[in-house]
Amino acid sequence: MVVKVARVQKTNPLPAVEQTEEEKMSVKKYLRGEAADLGELQDKKLKGQLAVREELYGKSAQAAAQAEKWLMPSEGGYLEVEGIEKTWRIKQDAIAAEVDILSLRKQFDIVLPDFGPYTLDFSLSGRYMIAAGKKGHMALLDMKNMDLIKEFQVRETVRDVVFLHNQKLFAAAQKKYVYMYSDNGTEMHCLKDHGAVTKLQFLNKHFLLTSINKLGQLHYQDITTGEMIGNYRTGLGRTDTMEVNPYNNVIGVGHSGGTVSMWKPTSAAPLVKMLCHQGPVTAMAFHANGHLMATAGMERKIKLWDLRKFEVLQTFPGTTKSMQFSQKGLLAAATGGSFVQVFGDLSGSQEYSRYMGHSIAKGYQIRKVQFRPYEDVLAIGHSQGWSSILIPGSGEPNFDTWVANPFETRKQRNEKEVRSLLDKLPPETIMLDPSKIGSVKPAMKKKGPTKQDIEAEKEAAIEDAKKTKLKKKTKGRSKPSKVTKKKQEAIMRAKKPFLEKQEEKVKKRKRVEEENQLPMSLQRFARKVPAS
Amino acid sequence: MAEKGKGKSRGEITQRRRRDGGEVRGKKRKNLSSSGKRKEEEKKRRSGPSLPNALKRELERLNPTVDGEVSDGDDEEIDSDAAVGNDVYEYEEGVAEEETMKNKRYDPVENYEFELPEDFEDWKVPSDDDDDDDDENEDPGRHGRMLEEITGLPADAFGGKKKKDLIISEAYPESEYNPTGDILDGSGRISIQDLLEPLHGKSGFSKLRKDLHRMGKQTVPTLAPVARTDQERIERKAAYEQSKKDITKWEPLVKRNREAPTLFFDEDKELGYSTIGAIASEFTPRTDFEKKMASLVNQSEVVEAHKRDGARLLELNEVSIEDVKERQERLAKMRDLLFRHEMKAKRVKKIKSKTYHRLLKKDKSKAAEASIRMDPEAAKEHAMKIEFKRAEERMTLKHKNSSKWAKRILKRGLDAQDDATKAAFSEQLSQHAALTRKINSIKESSGSDDSSEGDDSDDMSAGSDQEAAEKLIKKAKEKTLQVLEGDDELPTSGVLALPFMVRGLKKRKDAADEEAKLALEEYESSLKQLGDTNKSRSSDKEAKGASSGRRVFGAPEKVVNGTTKKEKVNNYYGDSDSESDAEANADDNTLNDQTGKSLKEMDIDPSLLREEFGFSHDSVFKSFGDAGDPEPKTAYEVAYLSSDTWKKVRKSSDAVKGSEADLNVRKLGIVAQAEKDPESEDDDEDSGSDSEEEMVDGILSSGPKSTYELPSQAELIQRAFAGDDVEEDFIKQKEAVLDEENPEPEKPVLLPGWGQWTGLQKKRGLPSWMLKEHEAAKQKRDESLKKRKDAHLNNVIISEKLGKKAEKLHTKTLPYPYTSKEVFEQSIRMPIGPEFNPVTAIGALNRPEVVKKAGVIIKPIEYEDVSVHERGEGHKRSAPKQGKANGKKRSRK
Repeated sequence: MVVKVARVQKTNPLPAVEQTEEEKMSVKKYLRGEAADLGELQDKKLKGQLAVREELYGKSAQAAAQAEKWLMPSEGGYLEVEGIEKTWRIKQDAIAAEVDILSLRKQFDIVLPDFGPYTLDFSLSGRYMIAAGKKGHMALLDMKNMDLIKEFQVRETVRDVVFLHNQKLFAAAQKKYVYMYSDNGTEMHCLKDHGAVTKLQFLNKHFLLTSINKLGQLHYQDITTGEMIGNYRTGLGRTDTMEVNPYNNVIGVGHSGGTVSMWKPTSAAPLVKMLCHQGPVTAMAFHANGHLMATAGMERKIKLWDLRKFEVLQTFPGTTKSMQFSQKGLLAAATGGSFVQVFGDLSGSQEYSRYMGHSIAKGYQIRKVQFRPYEDVLAIGHSQGWSSILIPGSGEPNFDTWVANPFETRKQRNEKEVRSLLDKLPPETIMLDPSKIGSVKPAMKKKGPTKQDIEAEKEAAIEDAKKTKLKKKTKGRSKPSKVTKKKQEAIMRAKKPFLEKQEEKVKKRKRVEEENQLPMSLQRFARKVPAS
Repeated sequence: MAEKGKGKSRGEITQRRRRDGGEVRGKKRKNLSSSGKRKEEEKKRRSGPSLPNALKRELERLNPTVDGEVSDGDDEEIDSDAAVGNDVYEYEEGVAEEETMKNKRYDPVENYEFELPEDFEDWKVPSDDDDDDDDENEDPGRHGRMLEEITGLPADAFGGKKKKDLIISEAYPESEYNPTGDILDGSGRISIQDLLEPLHGKSGFSKLRKDLHRMGKQTVPTLAPVARTDQERIERKAAYEQSKKDITKWEPLVKRNREAPTLFFDEDKELGYSTIGAIASEFTPRTDFEKKMASLVNQSEVVEAHKRDGARLLELNEVSIEDVKERQERLAKMRDLLFRHEMKAKRVKKIKSKTYHRLLKKDKSKAAEASIRMDPEAAKEHAMKIEFKRAEERMTLKHKNSSKWAKRILKRGLDAQDDATKAAFSEQLSQHAALTRKINSIKESSGSDDSSEGDDSDDMSAGSDQEAAEKLIKKAKEKTLQVLEGDDELPTSGVLALPFMVRGLKKRKDAADEEAKLALEEYESSLKQLGDTNKSRSSDKEAKGASSGRRVFGAPEKVVNGTTKKEKVNNYYGDSDSESDAEANADDNTLNDQTGKSLKEMDIDPSLLREEFGFSHDSVFKSFGDAGDPEPKTAYEVAYLSSDTWKKVRKSSDAVKGSEADLNVRKLGIVAQAEKDPESEDDDEDSGSDSEEEMVDGILSSGPKSTYELPSQAELIQRAFAGDDVEEDFIKQKEAVLDEENPEPEKPVLLPGWGQWTGLQKKRGLPSWMLKEHEAAKQKRDESLKKRKDAHLNNVIISEKLGKKAEKLHTKTLPYPYTSKEVFEQSIRMPIGPEFNPVTAIGALNRPEVVKKAGVIIKPIEYEDVSVHERGEGHKRSAPKQGKANGKKRSRK
């Protein structure tokens, strides 16, 4: 057996032909879609302008592709086997024998049997990790230096923990409320509005802390202003599976009915609701490209979905409590009690197959699997502490210091904080297809006649009434006074239905207002029918 | 211009023609009228008006000939004479005869323009008409006078003519209208050349000849001029052709500029001097004075001296090291002092201690006082300041509510005000309060504390007089009575008006009344007691009781109110409160469970599941559902794997747990035995189930080999999820959502008996229009449903709502030059910011349409030869180069 484990930052010059192919690919990537068909345009001027633009775009993409070569020098790691050997047979000790010392340091187990299964979260840069035991033990670690920054006990159930925009703040879902702590363990806030939260997520571009609580209520809170942006009842019962789609920041929630619903903070109804499983959904994960979703149901199935078509791509057997896609698209799933399986898209055609596996000591219940960003490391939180294993090819080898910098200094961090606050996106920018921002508003369905229409109709009716000729009558019934009176009456008759309708509307509004005055819980006792 | 001239000439022509016609007509008329006139004149002359003699004489003197003629008295002569004198046309009457073609010798070609020089005419023409012949013969002097009058030349000039006249004798005098016989014969025809010959060598001959030559060529008869409009059109067309030719040459130039994405007007051009030195260096002396100065300044001696001087000045500039050092030291010291002062100030400012600041203030004020005492000037100033402050205060009356502003606000109500006003008002109030407090404190400190009598909240415990107690009790009694009497009216609207609420309120009120009554009785009794004690002047103990009673009395009233309030609150939020309580309880419960007392009580989901699936599948779902709970899990595993290794684990866990696990083992009993093997099978499946045992071997090796016949995995799952029909539920949900968006049309119904003849309608069924309408509505709904994104996806509901907040992120209409949505959307797909593009591309991507430097004069477009085929490569060139190539407005020259 020959194991080749290429570590991060190992550059491998490729043949020239392939490079051009690669370049073409990256040019295509930087073009961000295809140009419009200018042939069908009638306007010559516009055509000319757009042609010039397209040319510029092409040049820009070319330049970007060329720059990529220099800006992204490192190549991702990989596992290479010879002959009939399989990658999933390679164990961690085999890998450990091959890798360098620095990477070897990333393979470890921490045994903390007292405070229950651990959940983990990494900061954006992957440098810091927070581990929270179910029984209230919380630890903030610097993974680069292997330093324990802070460790404390909250003496309460901790269900979930997430980093906020940087490692200085993190939020923990505890027994009753959500708390925010600073990096030295000081309790900064207690967010009581969220209730007893089962799962937390943070949308770092929008600064929204998202939670789902025991009652199945979804909360979005802006952590810069403290404003509660959205509070929606999913109406589908308690759940603890909630994940963010990193592409569009839509929140996906898995429910006990086998459905997965996707939410944005500005609408009370889910954007998408899909039936994924027969049994309750136990775990889900989103790929970074936004159109791949993995869900796991209690009926022992793990499914891969194409979110562009909302169709199943693949189905694997197995049940899991925690899943995650790595930056490079590997899917880790904690199948069974203490076994981690990693699926990989090895052929590049979205055909996921077994890539690696790792079993920890029997009886350790895995609670969370989490890939470390920018490293080929998978962290596993389980009932006896946590362990960290090497999964070659999982992490993005090149980091962009504008996005996430593992070697960030304090000053840089401060500056980045300010910058990210300035670049904060409003919550309404979250939508299923964010590339649609700026496009033409889709045509709305027409809802009945508009105010103008009604007005025009009324005018027409009055005109008609005015025009009707009265019969010439005898015996003083065609006296001018009578005629005017009759005409006025006719006009009134024409107006009447419109006025009535208006009045009804006003009444209805008033009634609704009255109903709204009551507290929610008592509205059902209010009289539905107005006394007539 | 030519056109205009032409038009004008043509206008003249037509005018002339018209005038000619008019002339002819006028001539005839005048002929007629002239005969009449003649008679009149005769009459006049015969019986003229008797003029005064003096006037007659004058007339004679002025016009002797006329008078003479008159006196001569020939009719015809008078006629012709009058014609000559009054009207030129009368004279041309003879020509009219020719028009009537009496005279065949009339030349058919009219040649108006042809003019001959005077001398030539003189030389040739034998002038007069036959009519005048006799007259001339008779009176040659008169003819001369006539000619004189017409031409304005002296009569002698015509003298020669007469002589010739005398020589030639013909019926008609020879003239251009009456040529001599040989001319008419054609043999001795006189050509213009003949006529010209004698003029040879004279001035103006060549010009004349040229003219003649030119005229001779025009053999074609001149055509009638074209209609004016046509002519104008032709002219316009010609002009257009001309201008078109002029303009088309610009076309490629303009086209190129239009197509260029950017126009550049920023050519490097000297905008002027950048520095004063540059200006100075350019200076050249112009005036005499300047020249003189320049010569003086630039004198070699002066320059040299300046140079030498400069060197000496430099020497003077030298400073000793000591000086520099000293200066530096001084500066450093000053800086240090300043810095220290600053630091001190900072530190002092940072101190949060109030006492410190108070002391500091005191010190300051003390110092000020001292200075006031010492310095009369300062004292005066201080007094002035205080006075000013007081005056200001008095003027503004800021602390009172009596100002107009305050009154108005009070009138409108404080709630109606905005925050700032409220703040201002509250500030005013607080000021007032502070001032009154101050006054009170002054008073208290000075006088007795009578003011505290009114307040029952004031501390009287120290005194605890019986009277005071009595008073208090009385007050309490009053209040309770008030409570009893008051709030009889029940709310008539809102939630509280609901019947069950009313009932509740009533109940509560009754209870409160009861309590109040009790309290009242108590008061009464205590009052009595007090009275007794008053009478008996009892001991302190009782007084103490009273005082303690007072404390009690104070309390019940409050309690009554408090309880009612609390209950009300409870009532309002009753549901939610209880819910939350329940939640909390549940939470507690669950936590307790988790810390591990009983296995049965677990999280909600699994328990529910268990209920659904029945007992037999219990353990399966335990394993699925509760991976989160470590204790139960381990316990369970202990229960189901009774192998050695796992027993060890159990032992390691504490004894209590162990016993519980045992208990569970007992509970699960046989079932556990049965479920062992499916479980192992499950794990096998997890790992991939193909000849791969390494992860499972823990179980396989430790667990007993199965002898139990397994149901298949699929079967098991089927059985597990048989209870809930998830799919159907989902379809129902989807239908509900669809119905919400496009409601299903109502089924057509008829009111029974409405519009029916007995039984007739029933047989026919519903009227066809109703059915049709229904059908149409249904079809419409189906169509709109088909358009949905999730139309063909049974298991997906995609919301079609955009959301009002997201609307602002879209354009309402297609922006102007675009006509198709796709093209527009594809045109905005690329970000153009610096974050998304390499630096080399940003400039070109974001360049404005026109680049120009401030201050550059944009000259009008200059002509430049541009080949049409250049355009193709125009795109390929980089943008700045394009600009360079574009010479339209660039001010290169």
